[in-house]
Amino acid sequence: MKTIWNISAALTVFLPAFASAADIEFLCYNNGNECEVIAELAERFTAESGHVVNTNVVAYTVIRDQLLNQLQTGDAAPDVARVTDLGGMAQFFLDLSPYVDVSFFETEFGTMLPWMRPEGDTKGIYGLPGSTVTGPFVNVTMFEDAGVEIPGAGATWDEWVTALTAVKETLGLDAAFALDRTGHRFGGPAFSYGARFFDDAGEPILVDDGFRTFAETFVDWHKSGFMPESGWPAGSSTQYRNAAPLFMNEEVAMHFAGSWMIKNYDSNISNFEWKAVPVPCGEGGCGAMVGGAAITGFKSTKHPEAVAAFIDFLARPEIAREYYAKSLNIPAHATIQKEGVEYVGASARVAEALNVFGDNALKAATTTPQAFVFQGYPKNFVIFGAIPEYMTKAITGEMTLDEALSAMDADIAAKIAD
Amino acid sequence: MLNSALVNSWTISLVAYLVVGVLVSQPHGSLADRCMAVIGWPVELAQKMAGDAPLPYLFLIPNMLIFGMFTFAPLFINLGFSFTEGASINFDQRPYAGGDNWARLLSDTQIDTGGENREDDKFYRSVMDTAVFVVFQVPIMVFFALVTALVLNRNIIGRGFWRSVYFYPVMLSPVVVGFLWTLILKRHGVMSLTLMDWGWIDAPIQWLVDPSWTMFWSIFVYTWAHLGFYMLILLAGLQSIPADLYEAAEMDGTSDWRKLTRITLPLLMPTLLVVIVLSLIKAFQAFEELYAMQVRWVSVVNYIFETSGLRGTPTAHGLGIAATAALIIAVLLGILSMLQFHLTRGK
Repeated sequence: MKTIWNISAALTVFLPAFASAADIEFLCYNNGNECEVIAELAERFTAESGHVVNTNVVAYTVIRDQLLNQLQTGDAAPDVARVTDLGGMAQFFLDLSPYVDVSFFETEFGTMLPWMRPEGDTKGIYGLPGSTVTGPFVNVTMFEDAGVEIPGAGATWDEWVTALTAVKETLGLDAAFALDRTGHRFGGPAFSYGARFFDDAGEPILVDDGFRTFAETFVDWHKSGFMPESGWPAGSSTQYRNAAPLFMNEEVAMHFAGSWMIKNYDSNISNFEWKAVPVPCGEGGCGAMVGGAAITGFKSTKHPEAVAAFIDFLARPEIAREYYAKSLNIPAHATIQKEGVEYVGASARVAEALNVFGDNALKAATTTPQAFVFQGYPKNFVIFGAIPEYMTKAITGEMTLDEALSAMDADIAAKIAD
Repeated sequence: MLNSALVNSWTISLVAYLVVGVLVSQPHGSLADRCMAVIGWPVELAQKMAGDAPLPYLFLIPNMLIFGMFTFAPLFINLGFSFTEGASINFDQRPYAGGDNWARLLSDTQIDTGGENREDDKFYRSVMDTAVFVVFQVPIMVFFALVTALVLNRNIIGRGFWRSVYFYPVMLSPVVVGFLWTLILKRHGVMSLTLMDWGWIDAPIQWLVDPSWTMFWSIFVYTWAHLGFYMLILLAGLQSIPADLYEAAEMDGTSDWRKLTRITLPLLMPTLLVVIVLSLIKAFQAFEELYAMQVRWVSVVNYIFETSGLRGTPTAHGLGIAATAALIIAVLLGILSMLQFHLTRGK
């Protein structure tokens, strides 16, 4: 009798905690080791809540090319995923606001939450945003070999062009500066030259005076050999081209990429010294494009409470701090941004780079807020693709710059038309 | 539990099928004949009821089902996409658009914005670039496939080895072909470095994206990758030419050139026609190798692939526009296929 009583008591205590335990599928892609870190944290979540998180690590192309179709057809869609196409998938995101502390999310991620909201929604909480920011890396060894001083914080693009050109000419490089072939990377420097991209109502205006000025400069940079032929001119249509190989092969002295490259460069560059430097400035500010992968739940889940609990768990400051430290990501939490992160096991170079990119994000927030509007615009991918497509035609002489800018405007207008 | 129930139901169904088979077919003859009669009773029954005439169609059903699923269904889905609009792939979320996608693809004015339309320029450009590729690639490849087949049809030393060497690229994945040639033809690839070592060029050239070279290398690599397949077809054609014709010609003292033009080519013509039409269709569909090499020009299939938005995020009407372009190309390829049937009919 006593045994039965004990079993009943134990069930009474433990059953409520595990009675509604759910298995949730988490689709994840890695920039570095994010999925492994989240999987490690998920085990702690399981121990605490009873919900089991099955982390499926896939290539980024699966998230980019297949997830949207899965969500549209409802076919084998995961419960949670780490995604980048926030605008395109927003209609499928699960609103977490009934399950989480809304004021906490608003305080910590206020500027990023609109990126994940479907059109017309101004209050919902649709996920846990991550934070990345674009910015430059320089080959320190090249600067030293050329006897050129690396420009400091607040240096303008003109000052950087002068310094980089000196490095190029002294060392006999083919080019000095490389930028990944996408409108996303083009955005930061364009902001510095005064491009607004959006009007006050948040509608895209793209080609304004600032944009035109940078576009002219950008074409000149290619004509003068400041930028490489194997960069933008080597691509066709909207094709993305990563300029990292040019930097790693010591073909250029500066690569304008983003915070996600830190771990890659730290692991793979051993034949020269590199560092992240503050983003160059201009009349329009110190422009950097913000963004990042968010962890979102989907409406189609059968376990909304478990999904929300998992995302809420990852958003806890102590958990998030551990995630940023172990995955070498810059923090998205406003509080942690201010307090800073002690990056576990990171080299001084990596820690410094992460702090530089953290500063870039803060500068973007204050000097070029259009970066946040651009990132939150649901059809920004159209602009990301159209810029390289038409700028390349202007660089190669297939079109005049005026024709290219006019065609770019027309093409974007058609592709965003409902 | 579920599995055993499933096994039971299958067993009962099988026994019932065989019992019905025994009753319907009333088997006789050898054991093998009886077994066949019991197993194949539905065919026997259909034959008894409808005669022999519909029987071939019965045997065609499995193939037609597979063919229909993988050929006709995508064709009709594509047709559906071309007459509906929106970014979704679900038809219940794609309103009927009539001929709007045709206008979006082919018109000078963009119907949604009233501004300049860019899609028509991109589509025409891809069609024209593909046409240039086809016009040069097909004759060059057929010529070299023929020459190679003629050489490898002779009793040369290591004939089997050489046949394998020429056929080997066909077995490679197109992506591997693209990757391999990218290593050779990129800016600091083997080609540029070698030519610079020899002093033939001063600076490295990006062979795959340089406007003067991109088409040449596209044709070269595509020909290299596919030549073996057509060579093999032509080789089979050459070996089907009766040897006694050549013996008779030799006895008459006919020159090699005359044997080629009066015996080989006329008798090889049906095979050559098949090769020409097949390579023509294949060249129009060129995509994988060119995409993997990231050549500068955009082939028509690449245009459809990019416009559809199935890679990345779909644009407002990209899927409908791409489906319309695919339909136009399908009609064009259909005409080429009919041309093949017409030219090879009765030969």
